[in-house]
Amino acid sequence: MISDEVKQVILSTLKLDTWEIRDETTAPQIPGWDSLMHVNVIIAIEKHFNVRFRNIEVLKLKNIGDLQRLVDSKLTK
Amino acid sequence: MNTRSEILWNRWCANSEKHPDRDAIIHWVAGEEPYRWTFANLISVAESLSVSLLENGIVKGDVCAIVMRHNKYLYPLYMAITNVGAIPAILAYPNPRLHPDKFRQGLEGMSQRSGLDWILTERELEPPITPLVQKENSTIKGLHFPLEWDEERRVNEEARAHLMAVHNSIRRSDPLLLQHSSGTTGLQKPVLLSHRAVLQHVEYYGQAIGLNDLDKIVSWLPLYHDMGLIGAFHLPLAFGIPAVQLDPFEWVLAPSLLLEAISKEHGTISWLPNFAYNLLADKILDEDLEGISLHTLRMVINCSEPIRPESHYRFIKRYLSYRLNPLALSTCYAMAESTFAITQTPPNVAPSCLSVDNSALAKGHVRSTSNGVHARVCVSSGKIIRGCQVRIVDENRNDVEDGNVGEIAIHSVSMFDGYRNYPEKTAESLIGGWFFSGDYGFKYKDEYYIIGRKKDIIIVAGNNIYPEDVEDAVSKVKGVVPGRVVAFGEEDEEIGSEQISIIAETNVRIEAEQSNLKMEIIKAGMAIDLSIKRVYLVPPRWLIKSSAGKPSRKANKERTQNRAEPLRWS
Repeated sequence: MISDEVKQVILSTLKLDTWEIRDETTAPQIPGWDSLMHVNVIIAIEKHFNVRFRNIEVLKLKNIGDLQRLVDSKLTK
Repeated sequence: MNTRSEILWNRWCANSEKHPDRDAIIHWVAGEEPYRWTFANLISVAESLSVSLLENGIVKGDVCAIVMRHNKYLYPLYMAITNVGAIPAILAYPNPRLHPDKFRQGLEGMSQRSGLDWILTERELEPPITPLVQKENSTIKGLHFPLEWDEERRVNEEARAHLMAVHNSIRRSDPLLLQHSSGTTGLQKPVLLSHRAVLQHVEYYGQAIGLNDLDKIVSWLPLYHDMGLIGAFHLPLAFGIPAVQLDPFEWVLAPSLLLEAISKEHGTISWLPNFAYNLLADKILDEDLEGISLHTLRMVINCSEPIRPESHYRFIKRYLSYRLNPLALSTCYAMAESTFAITQTPPNVAPSCLSVDNSALAKGHVRSTSNGVHARVCVSSGKIIRGCQVRIVDENRNDVEDGNVGEIAIHSVSMFDGYRNYPEKTAESLIGGWFFSGDYGFKYKDEYYIIGRKKDIIIVAGNNIYPEDVEDAVSKVKGVVPGRVVAFGEEDEEIGSEQISIIAETNVRIEAEQSNLKMEIIKAGMAIDLSIKRVYLVPPRWLIKSSAGKPSRKANKERTQNRAEPLRWS
């Protein structure tokens, strides 16, 4: 389940008013989330939640559900 | 070896005999130990793959498209194709965003234009590609899955003799490789290069950048792009020095991987398109740079996109404390039609920057100015490399005097022989041995400055996008007046590149419906793997037509930028 907070950070980074984002949604399915924007979205999530991702963690993300779980795991540490 | 008859395979074998245990290609995958191909291993596996290619019916002159992800066997496979006299053409692996039908259509257009004979790919792409092979009048004879072959099998004497007979029939003037310009619908221009062109280029360009035995190339560039294929693959392999190959998909998601590879492998040379300087300067946090040292880098060469001085300043500022030599930043002007480089700045010399009067420049004259408000800073792409000649010409293709803007025309010993199966395009641009590039620039004190282009191509992060591709996709969106769309590039200073903008005529007036329409237009771009960043919706008959009766990209772009009248834009 994608939290409203994660969803809002993604939408605001991509300048979208609304978009359905579910666990299985992948980055290329969201308008504006292309390879050039990917780093911006990741940095925005890191800043918002005050967490740090390692490169390998970012590369393993397959969908937004993975991103949510990564954020959750960092916050519980 | 008589160098006058030498072909690439012989050069690679000579390098393997000279330095059998030297690293040739270091295949880099994030989070894993890199796989290190020595020159001897690479030749041995390539030879084995050559036999498999012959057994699978591939013969001299066949065009073999390679559609694969970052895989360590891609390099020996490419070499093997050349060893049997066939012609490798590396194509981009489809992005997950690209609809399978669109991928197939793009491949079909390419195959009709280039005459692709075989597709060497991964099993995963069998379903979308098979219908294309089965289609009536398809040029494609079949699909192969070389990653399922036994790459390490021993080659028996009979097979070796057969291979040798095939190999001995290859001439230096024979085609070595096929490269495609970007695009998705078959608008790509297939550039065929000979062994002679590539070997000659390696020698002369190597001299221009002072390539030596201690150099090590580090690259994330895709091998379907001339900068990656010639600069970061052919150049080191023919010269006998190592190259570190990163996965372009991984790099763009985690750009600090390039710096990690340079630091760990003591890389000395890297080519980057302009946007990469911005990305590396602005989007990497200090925590990702722990232990990084860039002191071994002697050249970081900016190529493939218009060079923006601000990008260099930002990059130098960011990495000075990581021991970057500011004089390592260098520039180059290159294109696939002349194999790769045409001009290059020398090692250890900062590229010249010229502050010129912008309004005079718009009229085609170069006037130095110190008035910052009306100035444009142009960055030199350096002097002509050996074996190349450059002219700056007016619209009648007469030479203009130094200090005046014109189209850049090139003559080179490494010139292509024309676009494959595209005589009309060849006739337009290759005249009397001179290639008319469509790029605008000027010569000043023996250095060349590239400032724009005649063609409407949009360059996004080093990739050439044909506006026709975007317009065609957007025209089909319900609510857009068919054929009443223009696509063009708009400068994005933050990323240091261009982004795609659209102006579309529509009868839709209600604001909420216009928002939906904009989203549908953006999604139409996504379906062909293109990001449309800005959508301008305008009423019917708003677009200015050119003298040919089609909406003019240039005039309509200027109209939106002048904002003389209200527009709806995303």
